[in-house]
Amino acid sequence: MMTCKLQLGAFASSSNHSRQQGAPNKVRSCLMVATDDHQDTFFKTNLPTKLAKTYVPTIKPLLEKELQESNNNTDAPIINSGKFGRFGGKFVPETLVVCLSQLEAEFNKALHDEAFKAELAEALKDFAGRETPLYYARRLSEYYKMNNNGKGPDIYLKREDLNHGGSHKMNNALAQAMIAKRMGRKSVVTATAAGQHGIATAAACAKLGLECTVFMAAKEMEKESSNVQLMKLLGAKVEGVNGSFKDAASEAFRCWVGEMENSYHLTGSAVGPHPCPTMVREFQSVIGRETRKQALEKWGGKPDVLVACVGTGSNALGLFHEFLEDKDVRLIGVEAGGCGLESGRHSSTLATGEVGVYHGALSYLLQDQDGQIIGPHSIAPGMEYPGVSPELSYLKETGRAEFCVATDQEALDAYERLCKLEGIFPSLEAAHALAILDNLVPTLCDGSKVVVNCSGCGDKDAAVVFDRKLFHGKF
Amino acid sequence: MENQKTGSPLSQRPDSFGRFGRFGGKYVPETLMFALTELEAAFHSLASDEDFQRELSGILRDYVGRESPLYFAERLTEHYRRGTGEGPQVYLKREDLNHTGAHKINNAVGQALLAKRLGKKRVIAETGAGQHGVATATVCARFGLECVVYMGAQDMERQALNVFRMRLLGAEVRAVHSGTATLKDATSEAIRDWVTNVETTHYILGSVAGPHPYPMMVREFHAVIGKETRKQALEKWGGKPDVLVACVGGGSNAMGLFHEFVDDDDVRLIGVEAAGLGLETGKHAATLTKGEVGVLHGAMSYLLQDDDGQIIEPHSISAGLDYPGVGPEHSFLKDVGRAEYYSVTDEDALEAFKRLSRLEGIIPALETSHALAYLEKLCPTLPNGTKVVVNCSGRGDKDVQTVLKYLKD
Repeated sequence: MMTCKLQLGAFASSSNHSRQQGAPNKVRSCLMVATDDHQDTFFKTNLPTKLAKTYVPTIKPLLEKELQESNNNTDAPIINSGKFGRFGGKFVPETLVVCLSQLEAEFNKALHDEAFKAELAEALKDFAGRETPLYYARRLSEYYKMNNNGKGPDIYLKREDLNHGGSHKMNNALAQAMIAKRMGRKSVVTATAAGQHGIATAAACAKLGLECTVFMAAKEMEKESSNVQLMKLLGAKVEGVNGSFKDAASEAFRCWVGEMENSYHLTGSAVGPHPCPTMVREFQSVIGRETRKQALEKWGGKPDVLVACVGTGSNALGLFHEFLEDKDVRLIGVEAGGCGLESGRHSSTLATGEVGVYHGALSYLLQDQDGQIIGPHSIAPGMEYPGVSPELSYLKETGRAEFCVATDQEALDAYERLCKLEGIFPSLEAAHALAILDNLVPTLCDGSKVVVNCSGCGDKDAAVVFDRKLFHGKF
Repeated sequence: MENQKTGSPLSQRPDSFGRFGRFGGKYVPETLMFALTELEAAFHSLASDEDFQRELSGILRDYVGRESPLYFAERLTEHYRRGTGEGPQVYLKREDLNHTGAHKINNAVGQALLAKRLGKKRVIAETGAGQHGVATATVCARFGLECVVYMGAQDMERQALNVFRMRLLGAEVRAVHSGTATLKDATSEAIRDWVTNVETTHYILGSVAGPHPYPMMVREFHAVIGKETRKQALEKWGGKPDVLVACVGGGSNAMGLFHEFVDDDDVRLIGVEAAGLGLETGKHAATLTKGEVGVLHGAMSYLLQDDDGQIIEPHSISAGLDYPGVGPEHSFLKDVGRAEYYSVTDEDALEAFKRLSRLEGIIPALETSHALAYLEKLCPTLPNGTKVVVNCSGRGDKDVQTVLKYLKD
């Protein structure tokens, strides 16, 4: 919840704010912070579409000027209301609206600053290790072709597992940490689910000499103790929070709001209020840009199908974004089916969820009939999130992207398959994307080009997989 | 591969007998002589085989993730800046970013491709902590080769996760109980297997040790490190590195970085071994500092041996440096004074581990930490603006438990 305890029950005074033209001020009252007991229920109900308009707040004159300048720049792709169709927006308390607008202005400025872009490109190259290869998985392709008279698609893996930190998370963490430094902030706060984003952030902050505080659910800290140790070795402070990831995320916001002059809130996933989803997607879109270039080099064309796992959606959007306008490129997102959709223990937000507001944005989310959030489950900790990026919700609704589901068992099988056939450990998250190839490949024609985002390295998951496989007497 | 230049003592590395000066050679049972000769011939013919070279480059690029960056460590450089504002500039050659997290894969990939060319279906390897074992199992999975890894039973206990990984990759991990049940015993067992199965089996040795042609082959497959470094140094500052620093266990990552520059007299080469609990305690792995010349695993080189010529069990906090021998080429470079060798204790290595993590957000392998630790002694002696390249040979995720345990004790 983006609520700030200071604001409970309070309505911001409107007397000394000038209003933007046409802004509906009545809507505000519905969106103001409710009191503690009701807050969870309030923000999690199904909102009728007509309430899904974002209130664009008044902004300080200085910021307004900056936004104006960004607006005047004709190649400003980023500035928008934070809406993807009806999804997205900025459902947050008043104090946060101002910070978020400031963040948006900084983000736009940075992206139009050639020096910053050059510095970021160099850091991505020398520190993170980009470009990541587009790797032809011959043995995996042949495995599928074997059952089909030697015919079938050519499967390529976009090797985000080779990034420093072991996942695509670094693309965003590094860029945002550089923005924080640029803004003169001394410290960064963030929240992490399983720890991948926390590690990437801690590493980027160490490199840039920024203090780093990572909030994590206490029970996740126990499960992922090695990730916690890595973050601490990198110099970050790791704070445990009772509850789940969403509570850690709220704490991170709270901490940031209390220290806004000196600290920067680094969002790790393409969820949350505008501009967070857009920022994260922009910084991850290097994945798709490189893929386009590499596909052209390798086979003189574009990919036919792109496949990526979907937890919150950052790696998927990173791969897809470049190709959104290419209607001949099919986009497939794979969610975590956990123990199976019928079991109710899964994280398949787009497959089974409903539309509502969560974490400051309108999107699909897993909620029950009373509007209570359903605790998600997946063997892949990075996919255990009850919401999803608003942009992906939009792509689903418009039919631009297709979404399907892979269960824990299917992911485990895919993990083992890639190890044995290609000597690559995919993360359990990425294994979900690989799992659906079983069903996808028979439907594709010979020679079509499939690119799967190998979004993370699965060394960390080897023990989990080994333990699970042990029960099946494999070793 | 390199042209044999004549004249200087550095010219024949190795000569046709596989010697680097008086070091190296082929001290093996008769049954292996043919296999070694066949291997050498195959290796030399592939050197000029464009198809092979193109395939190898493609794999290094798309599978391993090369080129690895030459990264300017700004905060580490600042740490070494003296009161006057002067100091060297420290760069890290990022072998930690390779697939599997260390330089080991460069050699594993080259040798697996070579094995395939030779028509071998089976590959064996020895491993200490498991890094080379995992690299070998990885390439065998990639190339569809049967894989058997020999590992000391004691090491298997300490490195259970690496054992899982090798098994997940489809390799068979065989426990070795003889001797001290560690790396040197695993190596002996692997050699024994090779003698028995030499027609069908290729032995992927993990370092620049062993009988000729291994030291040369393994060096050549790692030489890409130095080649890239030369190119990147030229791009970044229009010159060459002044000093190269690398940790030395068997010596493969160091040879990989140094080889390109051995004939550049103005480039200083520094190898850093493990002084373990301290040289005076006898619990270390500082072969080049404290060892004597002898034959181990088929090659003449420096090694840690007692008065009866028995191998002394080495000690280092880092498993990869825990080897009682060293590559013969390093012994040679030391003897002719071309390279300098120092050593660093477990404690200093740990400090360096923590330092790089905090200053640059890169967690180095404990092996690599030895090279980084030597910077503490080295940098104060270097003139302003000296370009130092440290081989960041591996990442340290695998060492986190060891480090935390050590820090707690």
